[in-house]
Amino acid sequence: MVIERRWKKWVYFYIPLTLFVIGTLFPFYWMVITAIRPDAELYRSWRAVNNAPFWTLSPTLEHFRDLLAKTTFPYWLWNTFFIAVVSTGISLFCGLLAGYALARLKFPMAGTLGTSIFVTYLVPPTLLFIPLADIIRSFQLGNTPWALILTYPTFLIPFCTWLLMGYFKTIPKELEECARIDGATRFGAMIRIIFPIAVPGILSAGIFAFTLSWNEFIYALVFLSSPERKTVPVGVVSEMIRGDIYFWGQLMAGALLGSIPVALVYSFFVEYYVTGLTGSVKG
Amino acid sequence: MANGQNVEVVAAPASRVRIRSAWLDRESFQGFVWIAPAFLYLAFFIAYPFFMSIYLSVSSARVGSPESHFVGLQNYQRLFADPTFWQTVRNSFVFTFGSELIRLVIGLPLAFALNRTFKGKRLVQGLILIPFVIPIALSSLAWKWMFDSLYSVINWMLMQVGLIDYPWQWLGEPGLAMWSVIIMNVWRGFPFSAVILLAALTAVPQEIIEAAKIDGAGPLRRFHYVVVPIIRPILFVGLLYSIVFSFTDFSAVWLLTQGGPYNTTHVFGTYAYNIGINAGDIGQGAAITLFIFPFLALIVIVMLRFLRRES
Repeated sequence: MVIERRWKKWVYFYIPLTLFVIGTLFPFYWMVITAIRPDAELYRSWRAVNNAPFWTLSPTLEHFRDLLAKTTFPYWLWNTFFIAVVSTGISLFCGLLAGYALARLKFPMAGTLGTSIFVTYLVPPTLLFIPLADIIRSFQLGNTPWALILTYPTFLIPFCTWLLMGYFKTIPKELEECARIDGATRFGAMIRIIFPIAVPGILSAGIFAFTLSWNEFIYALVFLSSPERKTVPVGVVSEMIRGDIYFWGQLMAGALLGSIPVALVYSFFVEYYVTGLTGSVKG
Repeated sequence: MANGQNVEVVAAPASRVRIRSAWLDRESFQGFVWIAPAFLYLAFFIAYPFFMSIYLSVSSARVGSPESHFVGLQNYQRLFADPTFWQTVRNSFVFTFGSELIRLVIGLPLAFALNRTFKGKRLVQGLILIPFVIPIALSSLAWKWMFDSLYSVINWMLMQVGLIDYPWQWLGEPGLAMWSVIIMNVWRGFPFSAVILLAALTAVPQEIIEAAKIDGAGPLRRFHYVVVPIIRPILFVGLLYSIVFSFTDFSAVWLLTQGGPYNTTHVFGTYAYNIGINAGDIGQGAAITLFIFPFLALIVIVMLRFLRRES
């Protein structure tokens, strides 16, 4: 009986799930294999004799070497990091204040303001990139990191506000009231009592916002033009495809290196990331 | 209501503090101060560009030309006469609803599977989210390489198993290209659907399920009458978000096909980029993106009404 059930569990549960996970991760495996495969092997017919399509017989680091030596990839990494950190900082600042006000303070039009911030959350970059390009141009910010630092918070602030508002609502009011009775101002009570408790929420919002800005594509594509100013996603796509020629080895090496920082942040903070993800919907 | 009472209780003993900074500390004033940075930021970088885009769509603005003037509905008229635009509208809907449907079909069983307790559950959950975490611009390159016309590993595998007998042009054939884009979009978004569904499912109290079981409800009826009503709010909001993201997508389509072949995969984002940025016709590009707006407004209204009713 027990044996039969275990056997069933394997067939109906573990095996399908494992296959599914393998299938899901296959593109990343393919990325790795392509990045370490020499060109001679990359562009060879599948029908060739002695071909090993799913692994490589002579792994090489030449694509990584070319990537670091012949392109401005290190700059892209730094640009992306810098932009992501600063825009996340701006968004956290605005989101903390607004989230706190919406969760705790009673003031006229709080509902309307809250709703309007929530609505901006649904306004996609696709709707805004054309007028924003015009604004960036008229402020002469085109091709500078500030073009992105200023525009990324458009999708980060609504998200941070929404998430942090939900988080602040879960913190008992009494804690803060005690501090207020002891003579703390509202601001003081918030800094010393509420923020320390809200650290997990802030961390979730921050990590999610960081990955969102790291992954952003359309603004970076539209607002930046010179190679050394680009972010990783745009740089890899636009600088390693010359005309119609794709340098697949280098492309995959770049894609791999560009994904590693996000993957690292993610793997260290999975729980916070998932909280951020579900919180963005649950509020 | 509870809040008001508490404030009174607090206010009485703390009157000293109140006098010191009475008006600065008043909530009706503070609320505005606290919300001001976020609000002004969004007003300047979302509301203002939005209105500007309405203005641009009725102007003759072009990149690099200094003067632009009012042209009325000319840009819209040109769009209505443009077969590619209508194709873009159709493509956007096919892309969005095709992706959402498949995501739900994959996400729902996956969420049920992850809702069980088993060894390695956290690992599986962590691994499955990776496609959603990695920048789409980078992972789409892997897909583009897997869909390559000469060296497609997918073709190789399918031919090995005998499912196809010649290499398919995944990104080169009109009908197939849309499927390829949808496949990648599903791959990239199903973790989101699954995690949202999972969060919803874990909110269903086990006792209620047990009670339904004792009352003799089978798995399907339990799902329909017990689970669905409880998870509906999150499910609904999550689905609407997901629809908005797909409908307004730019990167996935742009990176795989750039709207080709023969415009069969153009969606609003990519077509607007082609016209507004690549061709420099800002007015026309703005008009294209504004067609997203009615759809978006509809979703926002539905969502707000729903959230209000739920609370």
